[in-house]
Amino acid sequence: MTAFTRKNADKPPMLIYDKVRKKYGNFTALDGVSLNVNAGEVVCLIGPSGSGKSTLLRCTNALETLDGGEISFESRPLPKTEPEMRKVRQRMGMVFQSFELFPHKTALENVAMGLTTVRKMGAEEAHKRATALLTKVGLADKTANYPANLSGGQQQRVAIARALAMEPHVMLFDEPTSALDPETVGEVLSVMRTLADEGMTMVVVTHEMSFARRVANWVVVFERGQLLEEGPPQQIFEAPTAERTREFLSHLGWNG
Amino acid sequence: MDFDFSPLLGSWRFLAAGLWLTVLLSITAVIASFVFGLAVALGRLYGPAWLKAVLVFYIDSMRAIPVFVVLVWIYFAVPIISGYTFAPFWAALTGITIHVAAYVAEVIRAGLTSIRKGQIQAGLAIGMSNSQILRHILLPQAIVRMLPAFGSIISVTIKDTAIAAVIAVPELMRQAETLAGQSYRPIEIFTTVMVIYFLIIFPVTRLVDRFYTRVAHLGRS
Repeated sequence: MTAFTRKNADKPPMLIYDKVRKKYGNFTALDGVSLNVNAGEVVCLIGPSGSGKSTLLRCTNALETLDGGEISFESRPLPKTEPEMRKVRQRMGMVFQSFELFPHKTALENVAMGLTTVRKMGAEEAHKRATALLTKVGLADKTANYPANLSGGQQQRVAIARALAMEPHVMLFDEPTSALDPETVGEVLSVMRTLADEGMTMVVVTHEMSFARRVANWVVVFERGQLLEEGPPQQIFEAPTAERTREFLSHLGWNG
Repeated sequence: MDFDFSPLLGSWRFLAAGLWLTVLLSITAVIASFVFGLAVALGRLYGPAWLKAVLVFYIDSMRAIPVFVVLVWIYFAVPIISGYTFAPFWAALTGITIHVAAYVAEVIRAGLTSIRKGQIQAGLAIGMSNSQILRHILLPQAIVRMLPAFGSIISVTIKDTAIAAVIAVPELMRQAETLAGQSYRPIEIFTTVMVIYFLIIFPVTRLVDRFYTRVAHLGRS
């Protein structure tokens, strides 16, 4: 896999995972995972359910605490204190499988929430920025809608805009399309693709193999809390070195 | 049996003064119970261990003691212990508040804990602090979800104000008793009082329910 040059390989990686370990009781979710994410890369984490991909993502912005190893972001280890971590989280956007929009706020207020509460921005400017972001994700006409009056795909696009509002340096996507109706998956993936084209650094946990194949610069295969294989999508999808990767992909009906 | 409503017609001002006090006691008790109950709920959820223990003991006590006993105790026993005498209205307000706030606290606690963890994580992910998450995300949703329970608590609180009659607060029930004693017309007077309570409480609970059905989606995450 060293034969391939990665994007921005000459610069320090944006994220460095160094022997990351995480346990839930007796269950080892992450068993010494080491991985780099370079600036501007789209890294897709794939693998069977329960293999640790989502856990790694949630450790990245400290929604979960580590039991061992270290994660560095922009050349600094993640801080240990909450106030310091809050500042780091503002530079990391996260999109959840279940959207997690705030149901008591309109689409516009959801996107503006971080700006008004965390950044203490005035409502007028925050709403202007939120409107621009909702326009970007194709929801200019839905600013006044409450989440209850939006489809799943629309809700997830609002969630992406909400994360973008904080102007993050990296976007973390935790199975962003898994909870969607098939007909709305495409609209979310196309927003994500636009982001990737703009050069956003993205770490994406996904079961959308065609998205990983087409958009990712780097694909990482997880199994049982360990990194089974990593490489550019051509290698992972066309010539995987690990037998288990082949099995996993064929289970998903992927045949190159 | 013949009915004679003339004592009511003659003394309606007397009864209206009682009604006014009932309304005043109800409103102040509801507001005080919600403020105090919110503080208790937050203390129980997020406070230090010793405070949680104290608050759990308080909540358990209030659920195990009749409000009647609390009221009488505050009015008759507290002055002997502390040397401080409450005016009847204040004793009633304090007793009802202390009692009802325990239920309010439990409702708010249940509401806050019912909101799924993902909402907290969504707040954390954009850099919000725990107190910002509580104020901007959890409490607004919890309050919406708890509206039906709050409706019941409001109706119970209004009904509890009738117990203030035993410590001589001249509210609706007390005035009615006085009037009934003077006029020997208990059926007419107490029936009227019953209808008045119904006319106050029924619309309140219905309004809360109506309001809830309109805003329920705001609490559904």
